[in-house]
Amino acid sequence: MKRKDKKTKVVSNVVVGKPDVEPSTPSHVRGVFEGNHPHVGQRHKGIKEVSEDRAEGTARRSTGIRPKDHDVIDPRMPKISPA
Amino acid sequence: MSTTTTPGTGKQRKLVQMAWDPVTRIVGNLGIYTKIDFNNREVVECKSTSSIFRGYSVFLRGKDPRDAHFITSRICGICGDNHATCSVYAQNMAYGIKMPPLAEWIYNLGEAAEYMFDHAIFQDNLVFVDFCEKMVAETNPSLLAKAERTPAPNSAIHGKRTIADIMRAFNPFTGDFYREALEMSRLTREMFCLMEGRHTHPSTLYPGGTGTVATPQVFTDYLARLIKFVDFAKKLVPLNDDIFNFFYEAIPGYEMVGDRRILLGCWGSFQNPDVVDYRYENMTEWGRAMYVTPGVVVDGKLVTTSLVDINLGIRILLGSSYYEDWASQEMFVTKDPLGNPVDKRHPWNQTTIPKPQKRELEGGNYSWVMSPRWFDKRTNDHLALDTGGGPLARMWATALAGLVNTPFVRATGKSVIIHLPKTASFGEMDLEWKIPQRANTLERDRARAYFIAYSAAMALYFIDKALERVHSGDVKVFQEFEVPDDAIGCGFHEAVRGVLSHHLVIRDRKIANYHPYPPTPWNASPRDHYGTPGPYEDAVQGMPLFEENGQDNFKGIDIMRTVRSFDPCLPCGVHMYVGDGRVIEQRHAPMFGLGGHDEAEG
Repeated sequence: MKRKDKKTKVVSNVVVGKPDVEPSTPSHVRGVFEGNHPHVGQRHKGIKEVSEDRAEGTARRSTGIRPKDHDVIDPRMPKISPA
Repeated sequence: MSTTTTPGTGKQRKLVQMAWDPVTRIVGNLGIYTKIDFNNREVVECKSTSSIFRGYSVFLRGKDPRDAHFITSRICGICGDNHATCSVYAQNMAYGIKMPPLAEWIYNLGEAAEYMFDHAIFQDNLVFVDFCEKMVAETNPSLLAKAERTPAPNSAIHGKRTIADIMRAFNPFTGDFYREALEMSRLTREMFCLMEGRHTHPSTLYPGGTGTVATPQVFTDYLARLIKFVDFAKKLVPLNDDIFNFFYEAIPGYEMVGDRRILLGCWGSFQNPDVVDYRYENMTEWGRAMYVTPGVVVDGKLVTTSLVDINLGIRILLGSSYYEDWASQEMFVTKDPLGNPVDKRHPWNQTTIPKPQKRELEGGNYSWVMSPRWFDKRTNDHLALDTGGGPLARMWATALAGLVNTPFVRATGKSVIIHLPKTASFGEMDLEWKIPQRANTLERDRARAYFIAYSAAMALYFIDKALERVHSGDVKVFQEFEVPDDAIGCGFHEAVRGVLSHHLVIRDRKIANYHPYPPTPWNASPRDHYGTPGPYEDAVQGMPLFEENGQDNFKGIDIMRTVRSFDPCLPCGVHMYVGDGRVIEQRHAPMFGLGGHDEAEG
């Protein structure tokens, strides 16, 4: 495909062309969910934040089929992530 | 060949110009240009050049800051993860994030695996080629004869009877130690991938934490490999001591090879999750809590361990580099969050304006590398700090500061004691790295072996801490955040071969300025406008030569050992060149048809 004529400019002694795309193009598409947004944790089923630096999980994070059957049998046991 | 007169003496010296361009067994395009006085066996002048320009600081502008760690990771195909980690640290500061402790342990474990991998493969498969039997036979035959007669003091540990046996074990592809080190590099890479997803460009690191699922198995898989590596490290360190001590004894005066004034910089590594909150205001405290202490060491004395002082002292000078000055450009940050003034030549205020030109080694510009310096406010000097290849500065600053105290690694104020537990072939072992008299070629190489053991020992501690949290049921590895409209941030870390900083300015939720400063710009820098040579130049200049070959079959082994002792890695030294008429094909992946791109060119 033929390249379009583009305006060029000189920075120092380097001839630079007009960018083909905006530098920020691939960053974010409107309407797509952003993974870092506050309260994103609520979307993850089976993980509950218990303090600022700690969260606990249940078997629901691994399966939707009768998850309670796969939870710890004694509440004092740690809820370890599935390997 | 040229004849010059030494100033002040009126003495005529016959100087022979010798150049190695590119230097092999390193990454990137490094050229070393020297003038050698063969009659007096001395290097009289040295200039280091780099012929590649990358432009990361140019094309990062305008991008979404959340992409910065994925993009800057591509600066290097060796230590890309160090860049990703450092960029995450800088972004954490800009977004106001405190990462969950479990995420910090995962980062530390990944970075420890990287140090073990990279240092071991560089030392055993690249540096030791300069010390192997084949090389020594070509450059110093009488030394090899002596090595055959010299018993190795630590032979009971590593199994090599004489020094020459050690040298034979280093022979590329045939030496048993060379091959064992290659196998180890597979183990350490697997350890890295368990924590950071992929080597060398991690897929699971991002500001706020990590995507690594903290299962007991991921840590035990790491631990099983680590214990095998600890076994290897116990053999590696005594082997290194034997070879380097032999060089000191067999060649009197070898301590002057690669010797330079002790000017070392370490920006600290391995965050302590109990202290770090990534707030600039608390940076001194959390910097000092790191498991490798940041510090600037001048003439053997620790000048500072404060990351704020370190940050404010950074100056980027020009003088022999292919750039236009940015004195008339915009200031992005005039004061830091503590109210301290920030210099125009600080990375936060730098504007990169490349100016390609002809290389002029005599009195002109000759490199794409700039000249980073550290401003010592006590003396108003712009110090050409080096990293000692990374480990020398890390061990030196950590030892002097005496702040690291864990069950496996302890800094005493004059040494670092590394405790390694029982493994398959050996019982418990304590290794002590003592502060050396000089910063020279052999000490840079020796410190690398000790830092491999240091990283392995710290990884044992990090595993304990991480498993403690996992066993208590903690699964949090990510902290949500919002990108502010305007912010600044800086990240300090240690790339494998030394200091690494990333400076970030966000405006209107986009990158307004971004400057990564990895170790090689510090080490490979050319002469600045004050005329101060960079560390490679400084270390090689005035260096005695012990190679037995004459001018006709000169290999420059002492010069190469010196340059390689800094672990040069030029892709990060300069931050696109497309030849005339080359067609670039550009395609966009359609994203729900909303990407807004209506043109594709080829």
